Amino acid sequence: MSTATYTAAGSLDEALAAIAAGARPVAGGTDLVVGARNGKAPLPESLVAIHRLSDLRGIGERDGGLVLGALATHADIVASQEICNRYTALADASAIVGSHATRSTGTIGGNVMNASPAMETGGPLICFDAVARLRSSGGEREVPLSELFAGPGRTTANADELLIEVALPAPSAGTGSCYARLEYRRQMEIAIVGATAVVTVDGAAVADARIAITALAPTIHRVPEAEAALNGSDGGADSVAAAANAAAAAAQPITDVRGSAEYRRAMAAVIARRAIATALARARGERFPIPASPALHGAVDGGAA
Amino acid sequence: MKYQATLHVNGIAYPVEIEPGRSLLSVIRTEVGLTGAKEGCDDSECGACMVLLDGRPVNSCSYLALQADGREVTTIEGLTGDDGELHPLQQAFLDQGGVQCGFCTPGMLISAKVLLDTTPNPSEEEIRLALSGNLCRCTGYSGIVRAVQSVASG
Amino acid sequence: MATAEKPFIRQDGKDKVTGLGRYTADLTMTGMLHAKFRYADHAHARVLRIDASKARALPGVFAVITHEDVPDVRYGAFVQDRRLFAKSTVRYEGELIAAVAAMSPEIAEQAAALIEVDYEPLPVVNDVEAALEAGAPLVHEGWADYSASEDVVREGNDCSRSTIVKGDADKGMAEADEVVKERYVADMSHAVPIEPHAIVAQWQGDKVTIWSSTQVPYMARIGVATTLEIPESHVRIVVPHLGGGFGGKCEFHYEAQIAALARAARRPVRLVFSRREEFVAPDHRREGQVLELETGVRTDGSIVSRRARVILDNGAYGADAPFFPQLAAMMAVGPYKVENVFVDASLAYTNHTPSGSVRAPTAPQACWAVEQHMDAVAAAIGMDPVEFRRRNIVRNGDEGPTRQVFEDIGAAATLEQAVEMIGYGKELPEDEAIGFAVGWWPSFGLASGAHIKINGDGSGTIITGAQECGTGAVMALPLLAAEILGMRPDDFSILYQDTDAAPFDSGASGSQTTFNNGRAVQRAAIDVREQLLDLAAEHLEANRDDLELCDGAVSVKGSPTKRVSIPELAEAAQGGTLLIGRGADAVPAMPECDASGCTGRLGMESFLAPTFITHAVRCKVDRETGVVRVLEVAAAHESGTVLNPIGANGQVEGGVVMGIGMALLEGSLIGDDGRQQNPHLLDYKLQTASDSPPIHIAWADTRTKEGAGGPNGSKGIGEPPCVPTAGAIGNAIAQVTGARVHQLPMTPARVWEATQR
Repeated sequence: MSTATYTAAGSLDEALAAIAAGARPVAGGTDLVVGARNGKAPLPESLVAIHRLSDLRGIGERDGGLVLGALATHADIVASQEICNRYTALADASAIVGSHATRSTGTIGGNVMNASPAMETGGPLICFDAVARLRSSGGEREVPLSELFAGPGRTTANADELLIEVALPAPSAGTGSCYARLEYRRQMEIAIVGATAVVTVDGAAVADARIAITALAPTIHRVPEAEAALNGSDGGADSVAAAANAAAAAAQPITDVRGSAEYRRAMAAVIARRAIATALARARGERFPIPASPALHGAVDGGAA
Repeated sequence: MKYQATLHVNGIAYPVEIEPGRSLLSVIRTEVGLTGAKEGCDDSECGACMVLLDGRPVNSCSYLALQADGREVTTIEGLTGDDGELHPLQQAFLDQGGVQCGFCTPGMLISAKVLLDTTPNPSEEEIRLALSGNLCRCTGYSGIVRAVQSVASG
Repeated sequence: MATAEKPFIRQDGKDKVTGLGRYTADLTMTGMLHAKFRYADHAHARVLRIDASKARALPGVFAVITHEDVPDVRYGAFVQDRRLFAKSTVRYEGELIAAVAAMSPEIAEQAAALIEVDYEPLPVVNDVEAALEAGAPLVHEGWADYSASEDVVREGNDCSRSTIVKGDADKGMAEADEVVKERYVADMSHAVPIEPHAIVAQWQGDKVTIWSSTQVPYMARIGVATTLEIPESHVRIVVPHLGGGFGGKCEFHYEAQIAALARAARRPVRLVFSRREEFVAPDHRREGQVLELETGVRTDGSIVSRRARVILDNGAYGADAPFFPQLAAMMAVGPYKVENVFVDASLAYTNHTPSGSVRAPTAPQACWAVEQHMDAVAAAIGMDPVEFRRRNIVRNGDEGPTRQVFEDIGAAATLEQAVEMIGYGKELPEDEAIGFAVGWWPSFGLASGAHIKINGDGSGTIITGAQECGTGAVMALPLLAAEILGMRPDDFSILYQDTDAAPFDSGASGSQTTFNNGRAVQRAAIDVREQLLDLAAEHLEANRDDLELCDGAVSVKGSPTKRVSIPELAEAAQGGTLLIGRGADAVPAMPECDASGCTGRLGMESFLAPTFITHAVRCKVDRETGVVRVLEVAAAHESGTVLNPIGANGQVEGGVVMGIGMALLEGSLIGDDGRQQNPHLLDYKLQTASDSPPIHIAWADTRTKEGAGGPNGSKGIGEPPCVPTAGAIGNAIAQVTGARVHQLPMTPARVWEATQR
């Protein structure tokens, strides 16, 4: 660890000035410091700590939707009844990040800006049309999450920009959602394969479907072919399977110590199918535990899709 | 360059002067001189270093010490009463065979305390989930789960 | 029986729950420096040049040492095949080139990176079967000249070969109704104590004190004395609290390098390993195995013949592994009646991290293969797997693989207990099944000593060479002394883990602490008891034969009022002849057997006080993903007399969860370059609390004859619990999916692949 300079910003302007001068922001450190310790990347030369910026904390409503301050932790997200009810896939995701220590410390801002292709919250945020608000000392702009992720560990944000909040528009009535991942253990896991489904039903038909895949490509992204297979369908087993297979077909899996490309591709179809089926069930008013993943893996009762 | 900070550890203020890259764990173990929190891994996976920061659990090996400036840190040493009396969880770990080599015990007790502070009567499932960030290689977790259950129901 | 009357609370427990107990990495000294190693940059290469001048010139560096700075000594328990630092060849990624002592770990690390090393890469021996083929590149060129135990059969890359020959396996196979042949592969895995290795060394004159996270302080002392060519009396090893071992801290690791570094730096030096180093460097990880098993069986379920070829991955150096082939050969037969046996087991040198004893070396992997094979054989003749085991499991009077005749064993009892606890036969959801596995493991008879002194106030102190690695075995020693002396366990303090204080012991290895040191403590207690009786006879003016010790006093039998308390006697002794007991018991004789046709006899041809285990597991298998959840485990053990139930159960609970980890997730992936690809806990996954199931435990009620086992008829208890778990899980998986997984660990991907075939 070779960081030479450090500031604990007392205000957003102070933080932005430090960032403009070349400092990197640190909130919970669960990616930055861990990455430095395990040899992934050394700590930056200059750091600005933003944990004191109370303006960036909290989860609030805006225009019928929600705003997550950059410092909202995964624990905050899971504790939000609003998120559990209306943005259930996001709660599914935050509830299975690391351990309770990671969830208490790790922030949504850090999670997003770390841009891991395996991050749990990425799929739900993209499918809920989340928009990142980036601010620099020169001004502010909004970037949809789908356009923010540029590659593993890379975003389209400029070096002088700080993510200050993530805004989630209101989902349509009749929407249900689910994030599921393939996990070898119940906690302390990292997604080997993940899938998000956000579906809106209108009577018996699927009015809108958003499906994203995680840990299956350099960035987390939606799969239009999968969504097309579900849109307008009856949401029955065949259309769910068709959508899941389309999601798997769009995967560009790699072989690494966590799994082979072949296994990942096969699991993409399985996990996508379970996520879609659970999202549909939730859209139809059925209750399914949060997080969904352990139940979908048979670890606890809850009924597998 | 070194920076000044004050860590409040188990109710005592420790003024320290440290480099910005230093982890909270290393400062607690070195400058503060409390070695209860342990270092067991390189990637925040084992939980042996877990402490409370303003009442919330953190893997102190992966948290910058300077970010704890002015905040309340509770380590395993802070669980014991001023008179040396064991916290009920500490006693239960002894009674129920929750301790073998003891290396995971400090972090495990922190997680157990967080759980019972927020969920006084947890189910076995909730206990096991709450302890999942702390790896134990000796006990198979059985004695630890029994210990938490005995305090919860007591 | 000396069972604990009230819940047993370990004496070191308070230190551990309060966080005040010191482990080696917690120790610090004025002027102390920090050590870092420079490791080999290749898994196999000739070393052409080492230049440490830049490292030595770095400000803050006090010493850099290489092979040139220590005596040119080769060491090794069976084959003397390694040096403290590489001289002309590196043979695995964790081999040491140099050690640096500097003011901070960061400076030491920087200096280690500044050491220039030129290599000529050599072919990496990466596959155990290829290693044994004719013409394979040798891991040790010219090793015929190494000194080695004469009993080790070695050639080419085969570091140690053992066979078991009983009856005529070919003839047996020909007489069988069905012959089942299978192949199993187990990956390398690790002990993973949560405390990484740590060592502090400090010289005073020509004597060195070394605080070390070792399981075997006396072995460490011998290692330091041998490699640095100094007398054992100049080396004192002290073990602070030890944060687990499981074999990973057995043998002699780095104490000599850090002592040499401290001598060169003229300062105390501390080494603390990272988790990554813990995976790649120490010569003690669980060996990979290839097992080819062939069984001939009759339709009535009797096994007529077993043939097996077992190849173990030795890694680059032999460490304590050369006796593993013989152990693995015994495991390849299992605790069953088999009339005709031929097992051929080899230990292949490779360019991997060296293997060495990890909790029941060879057994969990071999048992996993053999017990899955047993289910496959049962299926071939259409027999229920439990019934098949019932018909073949060894009972009193039966013969083992080398015609050892078993007496006072409870193998069959454990099978029935497991059947009952798991509720075998009950209806289950279609994605669940119950699997069984039976295993066995020997007790190890080794020299061990203890003293007991009675203090002036009547309390006692046990001074023991035994090492506490977390199991509580040392903490339970007062139970044995208290029983003999009529005192309470709490009356004793324990002085342990200091080689200058106590007599020799083989350490926390081989489940031997209670088995051997327990007998030593009993001897010492008897010695003290005789002294107390002498003193009391004088004091009470009574006939010595009429006296008894109970409730902290010596009294005349039948006249409870005629008594003198131990504190009174102790106070008197303090003014005269002190009360000091000495304990060392003879090593029990190995059971007789007929190993006349066997090669590579290294002491495992018969099993002293064998323990038997049956595990039954109920698993849920997600057929689509291959993810397996272990829902429930029934663990039935026969370990003779159980002395301390809370301690014994703790061993089972921990061993079972370690076994689940081995079964499902724990394995090293090795690249073409011979390096481990997942030497960190994110991708070498241990079971967490939420992955671990409830565990039901039963102890078969047997008692080993006096003199044939441990104290009060007990047997070793630490290692057996991890032996059969993986095999039982493999059988449950096969029950659900109809597809057997032939590679360990049985990861979700491998379970899924098996279902795709």
